Amino acid sequence: MNVIEAEDLTKVYRRYIKPEGIKGSLKGLFRREYEEKAAVSHVDLCVEEGEFVGMIGRNGAGKTTLVKMLTGIIAPTNGSIRVLGYYPNKLEKRFRQQYALVMGQKSQLFFELTAGDTLHLFKEMYHLSEKEYEKNRDYFIELFGIKDLMDVQVRTLSLGERMKMELLAALLHNPKILFLDEPTIGLDAVAGMQIRKYLKEVNRERKTTILLTSHYMEDIKSLCGRSVVINHGTKVYDGSTEQLFERYQNNKKITLVFDSLTEIEIPEAFAGKCRILDDNGYKKVYEIPKEDSGGILEYFMRYKPRDISLDEEEIGKVVERIYSDVRVRA
Amino acid sequence: MKDNIRLVKALVKLRFERVMMFRLGFFGPFFVDGSLFVIQLLVFQAIYSKVDRIGNWGQGDMILFIGTFSLINALNMSIYFFGVNSIPEKIRTGEIDLYLTKPVSPLLRLTFEQVNPGALPLVIFSIAIILYGINAAGADVTISSVSGYAVSVGMMTVLFYELEVIIRSLAFFTVSSDGVLQIEMSGLDLCMQIPGTVFYGAYKFVFYYVLPYGIIATYPSLILLGRFSWKMAAHEGIVLACFTMVTVVMWKTGLRRYDSVSS
Repeated sequence: MNVIEAEDLTKVYRRYIKPEGIKGSLKGLFRREYEEKAAVSHVDLCVEEGEFVGMIGRNGAGKTTLVKMLTGIIAPTNGSIRVLGYYPNKLEKRFRQQYALVMGQKSQLFFELTAGDTLHLFKEMYHLSEKEYEKNRDYFIELFGIKDLMDVQVRTLSLGERMKMELLAALLHNPKILFLDEPTIGLDAVAGMQIRKYLKEVNRERKTTILLTSHYMEDIKSLCGRSVVINHGTKVYDGSTEQLFERYQNNKKITLVFDSLTEIEIPEAFAGKCRILDDNGYKKVYEIPKEDSGGILEYFMRYKPRDISLDEEEIGKVVERIYSDVRVRA
Repeated sequence: MKDNIRLVKALVKLRFERVMMFRLGFFGPFFVDGSLFVIQLLVFQAIYSKVDRIGNWGQGDMILFIGTFSLINALNMSIYFFGVNSIPEKIRTGEIDLYLTKPVSPLLRLTFEQVNPGALPLVIFSIAIILYGINAAGADVTISSVSGYAVSVGMMTVLFYELEVIIRSLAFFTVSSDGVLQIEMSGLDLCMQIPGTVFYGAYKFVFYYVLPYGIIATYPSLILLGRFSWKMAAHEGIVLACFTMVTVVMWKTGLRRYDSVSS
């Protein structure tokens, strides 16, 4: 069963074009020119109950705008949209009781109080019985391992701890859909990994449909069976995450750190394939096609680096590649 | 309705908890709001040391009028002012996004989210001034006039709230509503000092129909002074009904037009 159905969804913003300087400002007082910018353009999207869908795209691609339309915060300019059978922007109470939104850059907690205090307010908002409230709260406190943090002022929590509290507050009423807008933004590796683990558990155990936007490959790769790629407001890919990365994530990034100044000569076999991204003598960063990464790594080991890291190609490049591919095919 | 009352109770409780986290934050407003109140009284004393009457309002009538305005203003400051006042900022920064995703009226939540216990003593001071004004004016107070007064104060407190919401909802439509806020401030300053019945011509039209601050303290005071007419009662009811409608339309239209801000 589809819990989200959107067809030809479009959101157009009108922007004032201000000519430079005081002359331009004066002119703008009497005659203004506007341009129309489509933040989201003709997007079709269906999400099934229980799915974990990742939305990828660069800054300004339209991911957050899409989430805002799906949650009813803003109205679409065109197109049809049903979430759990409701038109979101009608802001019906019954609809708002059935989903939750967590935004990595906005908090729903009261910073001066403890998370526990905010939860009491949410209990009233969602009309939870004492029994239901305690059951859900205790479940997530246990899952997130945050028992000791419940009586601590929110403003004194670390970003990772705060994000766990945000998730607890969002999941307290057991929503059918959880919208996550960059929940791991700014988190360190350990905190990011923990959040991913909890989200996986929530999706599996509670059958909560999750729609996640993120800039981090790791979030999408480890959590989402399905990915939707948005570029310039248009959907350029919708399908299996595994296939997406198999097909479009072509390179690996290798970082080598040395104790002394080191010169590396790239062998003939890799010449033209291995690109230097950074080199200060002590630290070298290379980009290499993923099928060659094993071979070149073996070669690099001869130079005895102090540290090696092998990273995925950043999300922006993957999106760009998909976009170019779509354009070429078009 | 029952759910809303439960929510308001939870919001007020939470606000008290927040304010009490910082001792200075809790006790400070008592001194600040108390000082502002004393300054206001001194201004009136200065005016009345030179003038005996304003229109057909004698000194006792004026004290009652001032007390009534202070009472409505104190209720405004205690209950909803800080919450309503935060609306333009929340619209501009996109902070209102998360309010829209919760299954409660965003306006109800904003209204009661920042109650200000610091202004509560002003309610008591204002009642003291009203009692003094009744005595000084020699008003013939009956149970029905006091009941009528209480109802009228309630209605005018709602009208005051609606005017604040309308003006702050302009932030949905314009980049800055600072100019309108200044007009509000000036209108209030004037109408706090002069009863509405003294206005005539364009002033009367503006302060009776456009920004009806002119009736906010005037009509309840006239009830206690025994000079309130059925025509005034009808006007009070119609103005409140019209402004309730405008508030609802303005807020709902604003929410529909809301485009949030870029992340």
